[in-house]
Amino acid sequence: MSRALSPLSVPYRVVERGGSLVFTAIILFSGASAAFGPAGGLVGLVLVGLALLALVAYEVTYYRRFEYDLGGDTLDIRSGVVSRRNREIPVRRVQNVDISRNVVQRLLGIAAVDFETAGGSETEAALRFVDFEEAKRLQRDIGRLKRATGEGGEAAAGDEYDAPATDELFALSPRELALVGALSFDVRIPGLLFVLLSGSVPAMSSLVPAGTAPALAAVGLVAAAFVVLLVSWLGGAAAAVLNYYDFRLTQVEDELQYERGLLRRYDGSIPLDKVQTLTVVDDPLKRYFGYASLRIETAGYAPGESGSEAAVPLAARERVFTLANRIESVGSPTFERPPKRVRRRYAIRYLLPLGAVVALLYGVDLLAPASLPWPPYAPALLGPLVPVAAHYKWRHRGYWLGDDHVVTRNGFLRRRIKIVPYYRIQTVIDSRTLFQRRWDVATVTADTAGSLSLVGNDAAAVDVDDAVADGLRDDLAARLRASLAAERGWVEDSGAVDTPDDAGGTPS
Amino acid sequence: MNRLHPRIRVVWAAKAAVTAAVLAVLVLAVDRLAVDLPVWVPPAVFVALLVGGVGLSLLRYRVWRYEVREDALYLERGVFTRVRTVVPFVRIQHVDSSRGPLERVVGLASTVVYTAGSRGADVTVPGLTPDGADDLRERLKRLAIRAEGEDAV
Repeated sequence: MSRALSPLSVPYRVVERGGSLVFTAIILFSGASAAFGPAGGLVGLVLVGLALLALVAYEVTYYRRFEYDLGGDTLDIRSGVVSRRNREIPVRRVQNVDISRNVVQRLLGIAAVDFETAGGSETEAALRFVDFEEAKRLQRDIGRLKRATGEGGEAAAGDEYDAPATDELFALSPRELALVGALSFDVRIPGLLFVLLSGSVPAMSSLVPAGTAPALAAVGLVAAAFVVLLVSWLGGAAAAVLNYYDFRLTQVEDELQYERGLLRRYDGSIPLDKVQTLTVVDDPLKRYFGYASLRIETAGYAPGESGSEAAVPLAARERVFTLANRIESVGSPTFERPPKRVRRRYAIRYLLPLGAVVALLYGVDLLAPASLPWPPYAPALLGPLVPVAAHYKWRHRGYWLGDDHVVTRNGFLRRRIKIVPYYRIQTVIDSRTLFQRRWDVATVTADTAGSLSLVGNDAAAVDVDDAVADGLRDDLAARLRASLAAERGWVEDSGAVDTPDDAGGTPS
Repeated sequence: MNRLHPRIRVVWAAKAAVTAAVLAVLVLAVDRLAVDLPVWVPPAVFVALLVGGVGLSLLRYRVWRYEVREDALYLERGVFTRVRTVVPFVRIQHVDSSRGPLERVVGLASTVVYTAGSRGADVTVPGLTPDGADDLRERLKRLAIRAEGEDAV
């Protein structure tokens, strides 16, 4: 039984696309009418009208020729006006079903639906747009069909079913939302403002009367910096509130579902068995007040997408760990820190750039004497901070091997605790840089198929002792094997079959 | 632990020579078009890069090791950053053997192992004889099939 998009999607799409069309047309033809007089304007008007007609015709055809069907074990989509495309996606391979609605769409009662599967850099299927009720039904049915096919049973989309048990895991209270806002600082804004403002600096400096004391300039600079900070903070707060307003996370059988957003409402599902890693993130401020945030990663999203925003933005630390334990029963990790000698390594690492800056300033001072507002050795005053920073960097590192998970912890300013089930490990990488080898330490990385790890945020035990790293490397691989065997219900007989010398070539 | 075929040094050295030549030409172009550099600079750049590159190739050969273990492929490599990778057979998605133009000239081949991981997504074992590369590919394929139950990312 194939279904069509919502009829309301036609006017919505026409307005959505027509708006920009009319806008560009107005720009183009105001030029034309200026060149050719009123006649030119008239011709322009007619052309815009024709283009709009074509657009309406296109969207109507798009609507008429778009059909989808959620059958027993595949989602079929037949679409395309000029070139047709039939796509079948096995329901079991769908990782996430995401529904989003902006304000207008919410008024019209329609929603955009995206289906993500692992692999591929883009969304595999998108419905623009269906009724919200229909979107929720799809999300529900896909979850249900996946369970059914997973158990080997057959199920049809129209079957009767018992309402699945829903269990609210987390809801963001208004107080927490306010905190999320207060603690969100958009780091992109300072850069943006800097680019914008740097253009206006010459203009500004011409306003300042010549010969004003440098003190005034310094005050202006500080004020500007303050304004930039304030704007970044407000921007971050506004974005966080818009994003996480009324955030709730529920568990429906073996799926997580989340809802969030003030103007644009997001509504997504994450199958529990597709969760790759959990990350608990905090910073000194959040740590001090006893808060943390949680990100849930699947392999479904392309990097840079908002995939990991299916996460708890902020909650008391105990709540975060309780929630993490419901998703992955890790227990409570007791971290093994790197050997104490790496603190000296970090201290040296911090001292070197400090020394370089001082040397540079001396160089500047030598070339242009008295041009610096402070003595060239001023940065050396930061020296006493170095051992402290090194100590904290060391303090917040560590790893832990649980029964079923490896947990790593890294970072002081932005501390990440990554929880990786052993059976999610893809490869184990042990790397030792030239400097690490001098200190007899190594970094052991557990690579997963998660999405965020593309930017190098893999779970890694950094700067562990050489001997520990050797053990860890083999241990992780062995635990992966054992855990995978348990996960997939294999009989542990492979050890007997797998004789070490495969060179002879056992027939496969 | 297996080492690579000694002739891989020729491949790497030739690659270093090509890189050195390209960069030297670039320096020459800068010399002609922009800044006037002393006459000896482009050849010096070429020689320095060549010596460095060839030296690195020799060191890299001395470090490179690989081994097909009981349930994983194990690699050890890297001159400055020493990297040891464990690729469990259960995680192998597919295996290629490939021969680049330089490798063909000296009669060598490589085997490339793909996993679904994000960082070590493809792992290359260079410096194999063509037969050796095909053998390794077949062997890894068999081991992967045997280790692999049902794939689910």
